Amino acid sequence: MAMEKVENAAGRTADNQAFLEERRAPGGERYIKRHSRQARWTHGITIVCCILLCISGLFVFVPPLAQAVGADAVFAIRMSHRVLGVLFVAVPLISAIASPRGVKHVFSNLFAKWDSDDKKWMLLFLPYLFMAKRVHMPDQHEVKSGQRFADGMLWLFGAEMGITGVLLLLGSTVVDFGPAAFGVIWFLHDLGFLVICVFALAHIFLGAGIFQPYRGTHKLMFGDGMVSESDALYHWGHWAREELESGENVVRK
Amino acid sequence: MGEKAFLFDSSRCTACRGCQVACKCWNNLPSPIEKNANRLHGSYQSPMDLNGDTRLLISFNEAEGGPKGVKWAFGRRSCQHCSDAPCATVCPSSALRVDEATGLVGVNEDACIGCRRCSTACPYDVPRYHGPQGKINKCTGCLDRVENGMLPACVTTCQPKALMFGDRDEMIAIAKERVEMLRAKGYEDATVYGEEEMGGLHVIQVLKHGVAMHGQVEEPEMPASAALAQIMKPVVGVASGATVLGLAGMFALAAGYKRDKLVYNEKTGDTLDAETGAVVKHGDGQDELSVKEHLMGR
Repeated sequence: MAMEKVENAAGRTADNQAFLEERRAPGGERYIKRHSRQARWTHGITIVCCILLCISGLFVFVPPLAQAVGADAVFAIRMSHRVLGVLFVAVPLISAIASPRGVKHVFSNLFAKWDSDDKKWMLLFLPYLFMAKRVHMPDQHEVKSGQRFADGMLWLFGAEMGITGVLLLLGSTVVDFGPAAFGVIWFLHDLGFLVICVFALAHIFLGAGIFQPYRGTHKLMFGDGMVSESDALYHWGHWAREELESGENVVRK
Repeated sequence: MGEKAFLFDSSRCTACRGCQVACKCWNNLPSPIEKNANRLHGSYQSPMDLNGDTRLLISFNEAEGGPKGVKWAFGRRSCQHCSDAPCATVCPSSALRVDEATGLVGVNEDACIGCRRCSTACPYDVPRYHGPQGKINKCTGCLDRVENGMLPACVTTCQPKALMFGDRDEMIAIAKERVEMLRAKGYEDATVYGEEEMGGLHVIQVLKHGVAMHGQVEEPEMPASAALAQIMKPVVGVASGATVLGLAGMFALAAGYKRDKLVYNEKTGDTLDAETGAVVKHGDGQDELSVKEHLMGR
């Protein structure tokens, strides 16, 4: 519902004062619903699979690890790698089939047009990471520009890992791709591992709120999926204002 | 024990395939014995390629030419026991290892995890797999026999002495002598194979009709994908390490970070500092500061 704005300076000051008092009263905290239960479960299962896949994959990737635990243990780890791989591929697919609107929403955000704030945010991101106390970041829409890039890389290389993983599974069981093609698939799987390692580490650092300015963000995916008004304004200012104005996804606690 | 090598002299080989049988007998490898188990393919060669139960085969190839009008070339398809063995380099479990005493590439089947990386690295397309866990099966050079002072099984059965086994230098010297003799008889393409390839093979071959006719690889090298995959290991290590270090640096520099609590009054369009009531931003317009001004902390 559109709200009539208070435009004159005196009126605004008085209204802001009253608004702040209301906010400070018990039950005045506002939260915005950001991630559905299905999205949180899909993300949770996928990320657990991804971490376990990275660990189990290391036993084939790093020879001293394989040698340390012995062939039988590595064989069991490889089999678990395959089961986890199937889950890693199947869970997002099932989730996507169950919620095509959610998929459309995710991809429309990923490919949203970059405005001036998006470009500026991207330019400032690296300095911000090292000077968070000093650098103030421009407001962002539902998915930050850098987030779109990083999420895009995780989507792209997650899919690449899934596809090459399935091909490796088939190539070592029922299909003979020939050593040359099998070698290329192995290389692509290793390349995907490199990209996933780098982006997943950064994603965990920020998304799990290890980085001090991002404290509390873990609740978005591993909590109730809601973000406080203050955090929403800090991270996704444009989106937060839109949501607070519409009130559709706003909850008071 | 010094560096050892097989010598395969194609000019002496009669393609009786006794070596194939001896290999299967010593290594307890089955052959299909059912009626018509092998498909007819118009060649004496059997089987047509190495497989999980066949570590060694004699290949047949014929073409017009040569001093007698026809070139009938027998080849020996098996592990070449490279000095720079790429299979051993890429093997994550050390199931494949170059034996320091002999230079032969041995197999520890118990250590094999069935990942098939070795198949992607071998320039001779040798590794094959068998059993429920898909473990490696390739020529071991009969290291078990050699270590006990015996000749490899295939060598013991070769009546025309096309297969020999001994010190690598000695095998190369014999091969060179044979090639000189063959050239003198008009076989101009005769050549020694294995002296330099892949850092030096431990299967030295006298190829009467040239390299390609006997089914050998002209300039063998580790496939690019396998070589790149080897580079990936240190690259992933360095990239992950650098990322962790970078993130640790960011964490340290952000220690003590505190952020003002913000609220938004949709009625006035003001984003406010919840503690002081200061208007942080009015409306939802695009940021007007330059990147430099942001960096200066304005």
